[in-house]
Amino acid sequence: MKGITRIATVIAAGSLLLLAACGGSAAPTSQTSSSGGPQHGGDLVFARTTDILSLDPTQMTDNESIWTAESVYETLYAATPNGRQLRPWLATGYTLSPNHLVWTFSLRHGVEFANGQPMTSADVKFSIDRVSAKASNPFAFIDTAIKSITTPNKYTVVITTKYPWAPLLADVALFANGILPDNFGGESQSQFFTHPYGTGPFSVSQWVKGQKLVLVKNDHYWQKGKPYLDKVTFTDVPSDNTRELELQSGEADVDEFPAYSSISQLQSTSGVKVGIFTSSRTDFLQFNESVKPFQEVAVRRAISYALNRKAMIQAVLFGHGTPANSIISPALWAYDPNSPGIQYNLAQAKAEMAKSSVPHGFTTTLLVGSGDTTETSLAQIVQQELKPLGINVTLRPVDPNSEYTDIQNGQYSMAFNYDTTDIIDPDELISFSAMGGNTGQKTHALFTNYNNVNVDTWAQDAERTFSQSARQALYNKVQIQVANDAIMAYLYYSPFVYAYSTKVHGLDIYPTGNYHLENVWLSS
Amino acid sequence: MSSPSLTAVAVVPVTRVPVRRRLPPSLIIGLTILIIIVAAAVFAPLIAPYSPTQQDLTNILAGPSAKHWLGTDELGRDIFTRLLYGARTDLSVAFIAVLSPFVLGTCLGAAAGYFGGWLDSVIMRIADVVVAFPFYVLVILLVFVLGPGTRSIYIAITVVSWVSYARIVRGGTLVAKNEEYVLSARVAGISDRRIIFRHIVPNVITQAIVFAMSDIVMDILAIVTLGYLGLGIPPPTPDWGSMMAEGQSFLTTHWELATIPGIAVVITGLGLSLLGDGLADLLRAE
Amino acid sequence: MLLRYITRRLVILVPVVLGVTILVFFSIHLVPGDPARSFLGDRATPAAVAALHREWGLNEPIPVQYWLFMSRLLHGNLGQSLFYQSSVAGLIGGRLPVTLLLLLYAAVLSVLISVPLAMAAARRPDGIADHIVRAIGLVGIGMPSFWVGTILIIIFALRLHIFAVAGYGNGLVGHLQSLVLPGLTIAISIAPMLVRSLRASMIEALNSDYVAFAKAKGATAPTVVMRYGLRNASISAVTILGINIGFLVGGTLVIENVFALPGLGSLMVQAILDRDFPVVQGITLVFAVIVVVVYLLTDVAYALLDPRVRLG
Repeated sequence: MKGITRIATVIAAGSLLLLAACGGSAAPTSQTSSSGGPQHGGDLVFARTTDILSLDPTQMTDNESIWTAESVYETLYAATPNGRQLRPWLATGYTLSPNHLVWTFSLRHGVEFANGQPMTSADVKFSIDRVSAKASNPFAFIDTAIKSITTPNKYTVVITTKYPWAPLLADVALFANGILPDNFGGESQSQFFTHPYGTGPFSVSQWVKGQKLVLVKNDHYWQKGKPYLDKVTFTDVPSDNTRELELQSGEADVDEFPAYSSISQLQSTSGVKVGIFTSSRTDFLQFNESVKPFQEVAVRRAISYALNRKAMIQAVLFGHGTPANSIISPALWAYDPNSPGIQYNLAQAKAEMAKSSVPHGFTTTLLVGSGDTTETSLAQIVQQELKPLGINVTLRPVDPNSEYTDIQNGQYSMAFNYDTTDIIDPDELISFSAMGGNTGQKTHALFTNYNNVNVDTWAQDAERTFSQSARQALYNKVQIQVANDAIMAYLYYSPFVYAYSTKVHGLDIYPTGNYHLENVWLSS
Repeated sequence: MSSPSLTAVAVVPVTRVPVRRRLPPSLIIGLTILIIIVAAAVFAPLIAPYSPTQQDLTNILAGPSAKHWLGTDELGRDIFTRLLYGARTDLSVAFIAVLSPFVLGTCLGAAAGYFGGWLDSVIMRIADVVVAFPFYVLVILLVFVLGPGTRSIYIAITVVSWVSYARIVRGGTLVAKNEEYVLSARVAGISDRRIIFRHIVPNVITQAIVFAMSDIVMDILAIVTLGYLGLGIPPPTPDWGSMMAEGQSFLTTHWELATIPGIAVVITGLGLSLLGDGLADLLRAE
Repeated sequence: MLLRYITRRLVILVPVVLGVTILVFFSIHLVPGDPARSFLGDRATPAAVAALHREWGLNEPIPVQYWLFMSRLLHGNLGQSLFYQSSVAGLIGGRLPVTLLLLLYAAVLSVLISVPLAMAAARRPDGIADHIVRAIGLVGIGMPSFWVGTILIIIFALRLHIFAVAGYGNGLVGHLQSLVLPGLTIAISIAPMLVRSLRASMIEALNSDYVAFAKAKGATAPTVVMRYGLRNASISAVTILGINIGFLVGGTLVIENVFALPGLGSLMVQAILDRDFPVVQGITLVFAVIVVVVYLLTDVAYALLDPRVRLG
């Protein structure tokens, strides 16, 4: 009969679909990696999650643009591979005046731009002046301590600061202060940025928006013999699954940020390696102290005690992370391993709640960025884990842009956020995330409205102190204070994860994310 | 909704061997499927073995087993339970969401068809503007403006979907207003409003109801797609769309997370479409 | 007569498109969220945010901003993207071919799928083939497009390795290959509707006097179906695809995301998330114009092909 025919058809169709999807997985091609010294040549295909937004180092805020720019423009000083110190790069050294206000840098001789022109102090002054030229420039804040830059001769640059400023070397090493040719090498600004170049190992040959960006080797690179690669092609592939498949099929050599759930599968795929690199990222749950009852330290501590970080790391990072105990990540030199960041202890959580004005719990909301599955999962875990304290959490999903705005406008009770650092110095991070009131970057401790005058004073002192051990002591005090005050519930430190073909060698990602592609080579 | 003109073609008389007045089998089967699904949704709290938000972080992404018939998701929640509760969420939202465009569209369409003139032009021009937007573009924009959540979904779907009902009812009204019974009612001095709502609409509404059946399917798809884009019903309320979105990350390792809820949607759509077809057959045969 | 019809329709087009721009402009500006904060990210200082607001003209009252937008538009300038720092027109131009090609693929594939199915069904109404076709259609209507896309990826890319998964590929051949699965996904989503109405109009055609006459003169059943069913089918197919262009275009939003295609749909979603106002306005305008123009062309084509329709 007709009806039965229809149902049978539907069942048959459904079964066919299921059967097809159940087919065995194809075996990946196996490759043997060759040993021996670096080989020259080749085009590295680097599949990344988003397209870049800009090639102007004074305008970029997104990671992909920044890490690309670092292959094109270089800075006077640069981070060491472990991200803990700075070393001379385009400069060979500096002297600091006794009053700590005048920094005199000697430039490296023989450095040329990709067009063969020598780099001189005029290029340095031009580039660094641009960074804070407009108040709307995203990293103008990093150069606010600079009063003036002078160029007494072609290989000397003198930076004078308005006040003693210890982080200056780290600031100068920021990608935004990368060196461009003076006056764009004679071109107009817009012309220059259609095919920008610097002293770096590569220059931009082609940018097809939304698809790919191609870098070509700089034949005038000052580190002789490098780069090894002829070309680097960054492709824009937002889907995790697609990047993974491209890596496995050989269409891509590097997969940026594979899904955590795929890491163990990738690790056991022949021909593929997974690089797990330390990052400076700390993830946390932050509280708005202008909203009751989050102004009570007992409540904040209680919530922090109730969160099982190990379970979160297992569920969301599939084990690739460590519980966080400080606002600063272990990748930075200022990290205090003894920082008393609260860890999971349900009994202590209840004890703290008992001390508060809301011992039986309360109702509150948690801001969640929609479309971000990690945050959504974490939010649901937090919701469950706070139930034993009587805290009823309603999730408030908003799109990512509104999430920024709501946090920055103080329109939240609890929200997920994270910190990283762009410079090899804790000052940037602390000035955004721990300094309250009218101090620091005036962001009210990352919009938590936390305000501790001691913390502000220690942080400001650390900016003007030039003894490393004295600075460390001050930053330790800051970390201990904010950890005890539980301004945020630190969750975990997570790594940078890159999956790449075994043909790729020399890929070592720094804690600030730099690729240093001049060290990468492909074996055939 | 987004395929308004289709209805005109769908109502083209199909050549059939005339059947005696009995319920079409499509109606029966559609109704059966739907009753099963609705029952599953309504009785979910009784049938489901677990709570839909109950997590077990030590047992995530487990395959089907005796304890978990369809396995567990990325937070260790029972998939079968969430499927049942997802039915509750999606069906209730879809059924409610189809009502106000239905009402709004019927009123506007009847007014446009009956009164004609500038009212007709204005309403139809506004309809043109709405239809010029690709459906999802407008819905996404509206949900953004209003913030994610069920209230925004209702409003967004109303703003976009009323057009189809308006066009159907307007078309029917244009024909009906020249019929005998309407002309005689006017002559008898009955008020316009009465004529529209007592006489014209009841005769024209059957087409709109048939269309509503397929519109519910479209609404379920829209809700599920919004959930997939992260704009749907907020977590942790289970909903088939967000289940599929969350499953997207595990496509290469646990494809069932993303596909099973979709099968539920397909079956529900099948039931509703059969029901709609059956109703159309039934009403046509009368 | 035809010219008058077209002109009249074009005249109506203007207020419609205008209405579209107004709706889009005001809705995206009413959306909470701040493109400056999105741009500056986690290093947003109050000073930088304020400076960007000034620079991007976001402090002007909304009607003023709309006026600026419209006056630039009338000069053919769609403005600058707040995020890419390049012209919106340029961004759209780069991505439009992808979306158009995808739509073309989807249209062609949907016809290729639907016409044979409809013919098989229409040949013998209530026969086995008819029931199977209608069953497939009923199942198909309930399939979310992103789910269909996901299943196609699992089967054809993950398991069978026939297609290079998502992305746009390299070179023309690569592009065409990469659009098969996405095009197929969209085609499958519209096929049920298409098959339904094709079937209905074919049945109507096959029962018409014209066909009866041809049969009486000795034309065989297959020829009849082929020639007359097909002609009717193509008219219907064109009009149905045309009328549902809004649905097709909207589908690209989701599909381009599933398959990571660098088209207007994925740019639109990203721009909405970023609150990149000029890009959202520009793309919506382009979408609306495409839809309205296609409607017009469909009406004209239908009027030309089917002499029964009055152009009045």
